[in-house]
Amino acid sequence: MLEAFEILTTSGVVLWSKAYAPVGAHVINSLINDVFIEEKVVPQNATASGVSPAYKKEKYTLKWKRVKEFDLIFVAVYQSLLHLGWIDRLLENISTIFIDLYKDQVKGDRARIQTYRFDQYFEQQVRELEDNTGGFVEEIVPETGERKDPLVSSDNGGPPPPQVPGLVKAQPRAALAGATSDEGTPPATPEISRSSTPQGHLLTAKAGPGGRGSRRARKAANSSANASSGDEARKGKPVKTPVKKMRRWDASGMADEDDGEILDYSAPAEEGESAVPAVEAVSEEDWGRRTGKGQFVLKELGEEVQSILDQADAEKSKGTASSGVVGSGFNAIGGFFRNIVGGKVLTESDLEKPLKAMEEHLLKKNVAREAAVRLCEGVKREMIGKKTGNFQSTDAALHVAMESSLRKILTPTSSLDLLREINAVVAPTSKQQAPRPYVMSIVGVNGVGKSTNLSKICYFLLQNKYRVLIAACDTFRSGAVEQLRVHADRLKELSVRENAGDVEIYQKGYGKDAANVAKDAVDYAAANKFDVVLIDTAGRRHNDQRLMSSLEKFAKFANPDKIFMVGEALVGTDSVMQARNFNQAFGTGRNLDGFIISKCDTVGDMVGTLVSMVHATGIPIVFLGVGQHYGDLRGLSVPWAVSLLMK
Amino acid sequence: MSSQANWNSLTGIATLLFDGNLVAIAIAILFTFGVPIALHIFFFQAVASPPSSNFLLLGPSGAGKTAFTTLLEAKSSLASNKSHGTHTSQQSTFVTVTLPPTVPTGSNRYRSDNDPSLKEAIRNPIKYRVRDTPGHGKLRLSQGISELQTMSQSKDIKTRLRGVVFMVDTAALVDEATLRDTATYLHDVLLLLQKRAKNGSSSKRTTDIPVLVAANKQDLFTALPPGVVREKLEAEIDRIRKSKSKGLLDASADTGLEDEEEILGNNEHETFSFKLLEHEVGIKVDVVGGAVKGDLQEEFGSGVRRWEEWVGMCL
Repeated sequence: MLEAFEILTTSGVVLWSKAYAPVGAHVINSLINDVFIEEKVVPQNATASGVSPAYKKEKYTLKWKRVKEFDLIFVAVYQSLLHLGWIDRLLENISTIFIDLYKDQVKGDRARIQTYRFDQYFEQQVRELEDNTGGFVEEIVPETGERKDPLVSSDNGGPPPPQVPGLVKAQPRAALAGATSDEGTPPATPEISRSSTPQGHLLTAKAGPGGRGSRRARKAANSSANASSGDEARKGKPVKTPVKKMRRWDASGMADEDDGEILDYSAPAEEGESAVPAVEAVSEEDWGRRTGKGQFVLKELGEEVQSILDQADAEKSKGTASSGVVGSGFNAIGGFFRNIVGGKVLTESDLEKPLKAMEEHLLKKNVAREAAVRLCEGVKREMIGKKTGNFQSTDAALHVAMESSLRKILTPTSSLDLLREINAVVAPTSKQQAPRPYVMSIVGVNGVGKSTNLSKICYFLLQNKYRVLIAACDTFRSGAVEQLRVHADRLKELSVRENAGDVEIYQKGYGKDAANVAKDAVDYAAANKFDVVLIDTAGRRHNDQRLMSSLEKFAKFANPDKIFMVGEALVGTDSVMQARNFNQAFGTGRNLDGFIISKCDTVGDMVGTLVSMVHATGIPIVFLGVGQHYGDLRGLSVPWAVSLLMK
Repeated sequence: MSSQANWNSLTGIATLLFDGNLVAIAIAILFTFGVPIALHIFFFQAVASPPSSNFLLLGPSGAGKTAFTTLLEAKSSLASNKSHGTHTSQQSTFVTVTLPPTVPTGSNRYRSDNDPSLKEAIRNPIKYRVRDTPGHGKLRLSQGISELQTMSQSKDIKTRLRGVVFMVDTAALVDEATLRDTATYLHDVLLLLQKRAKNGSSSKRTTDIPVLVAANKQDLFTALPPGVVREKLEAEIDRIRKSKSKGLLDASADTGLEDEEEILGNNEHETFSFKLLEHEVGIKVDVVGGAVKGDLQEEFGSGVRRWEEWVGMCL
């Protein structure tokens, strides 16, 4: 069953919400974070029309619909255990109805303060869709009734429905209703009529699946009772709510109608009498509502909703139909002018060509095809239905959108301040933590420059006066340890000359298990008061299961604070798979912490690998290698990268 | 009438003007009524609508920025007494809110309590605009910092920034990672303001932009008091400042896109404090506690009263 439904704006304000069960705010927040902002989770079947994308969090499944034009997001939350087929329809319908009713308010200044009285419409939709689907929803009904039971009373504050209405009982209830209802409406009758919506649910719960017919009847009785009392109030409003009209769209049989008629006789007499003293106070507000368009909504909710939906459908079909020969010709001319002048609402066909060009451009910048396609898809989704600015061509608008998209993908969620983190571990501020060496390890494919980048990092740390231990855990390739020793010797020489930190190498020769060597190195560093341990590992092919599997053990034994992967800027499409496989190689719960992109100086402005790697994993780029010297290590500057990519 | 010849002599013109010609009457009427109206439109509007005062709302995600904005909005609208719920924002928004008449404003500082113009102010309360920004790490640069940059450097009186409100979740600040994140953001904001203050002083007088660190969520049991928040942030910014000065250069440094890195506060060797910043650079930072939710008193939205007072003193 539906747990909650929320309508929120992209600026983070919940315009309207309905919760059947308490759902923590973090559930929807994580949807926004993961899907909309970080784009970590790429929703499946997002392209299929008519099916809303789904996102799972804890025990809930969230489905949403985004309306670009109004910056609104409609989110439905339900338990993952249940398969509710009608959620897509519900999202579709609710978004149509809500926008139709409140389109002026949402656009206006007071959109965020306005209270949206949308409960009625929503309830009506839920009921209708629940009924239509039938089958398996039917068997959930008893359970939902139970769940709703406390909610109805807490939510509406309305009185329980008079099941066996008697005059004596009705009056205290009327007083209660006046006192507890949030709007403080004096008369009893409208109050009861309003709570007829949850009433229906209550009754189903009590009567079980069999009680559907009587529920309808009761509702009809209530509504007619209300109508008659309204007549007595002489508000001059013609209340044309015959019972039959109400029933027209309901799928119910003849028996209901008879049932309704019987109750019909008793109700008006009784209710009318009880309400007579309060007749003067009955205001328009109480038994109907003004919609956004100032229409008076009473009981024909179903019809009104239906007409809204039909209208939307008709518009949609008209839109597709009009794109005939004449229509397209006219549109083409108009579109041509608008393309120059701006202020054009973009459609998919407008974007097709420029997006293709944009994709080509990205591919030329060495962005992997997968990443380029995804970026273009994202931009397309963002752009469709948007209006271009004044004197802004489609290309320019696209350019801006792509730039912001690239910026978004490259900007890390939290920036890494390595020195600050090392300090926090080496010299903790709180007493509970014991100081220990900070462990970093570097992994990557063969020949990408793991050892070189390790020594660059080492040089950087040495300049900050740390004591660094280099652990040579490449016990496989001949000459690897010697190579590191050369680096260590040079760095030692440099640090003595510059009066910087201290560096040492830890090695156990060849043929040993790398994980054990790493563990020993960390222990050695802790015993000898080193600040940082840098672990060099053997290069491995990312699609070789045998070699990759040893990484898991390595991560467990050495337990590094940071695992960086070195990737070449030269590599093309393969970068995506490299990043993905290495990210998964450390077992569950352990991922890479960052990328070092080496050889950036060799590619000029074709720095697409940066995007590909981040796209594949969502893990930020920490360092860039930009030259042959020890000092040629740089942090990532997002504006720099974006400007290179868009050049 | 031979009007052609009359234009040549002064008496001719005078005759034409005074002889009850319809055209002359029309021109005269247009002139007599038009000039005052034009003057009114020209002068009065420039004075009557004071420059809309903008405030920028910054801070990490989950600190309560959007909640604060909606609360202010709900307070300024008389009708609703309940603010909407909020979620993580993805876009920044501009909202116009009013200052409650009971909050004193900075421009009324020297007025006597019995000043009749104060009563006037109650009837038309002061309006100001608040820009709510998303605090998520990915959106900070593009929407928070860049907004601050454009607004603080703007010469247009309409978009000029009057103050920055930096929201902090005091209940989450105990956590090391949150503290680091918050302090980094605050550091970036202050650095930008410092750059502005330094660049601006040479060319022309710039109004300084004060910063309010709004220590939100004081209603929670685990919340740190404002004084501790201040200390923690100062200590953390000091650490960030130290590591920044020793950190790696950005890749853009090679291309000369940006000038050299600056250090927050002039003196690198002194420990950082907000007081020092005010002394050296002239950026005033106040740490004031408050609570958007869970009102301390019965009154609606009383938890943000002190922040509103701060806003009032900036106006």
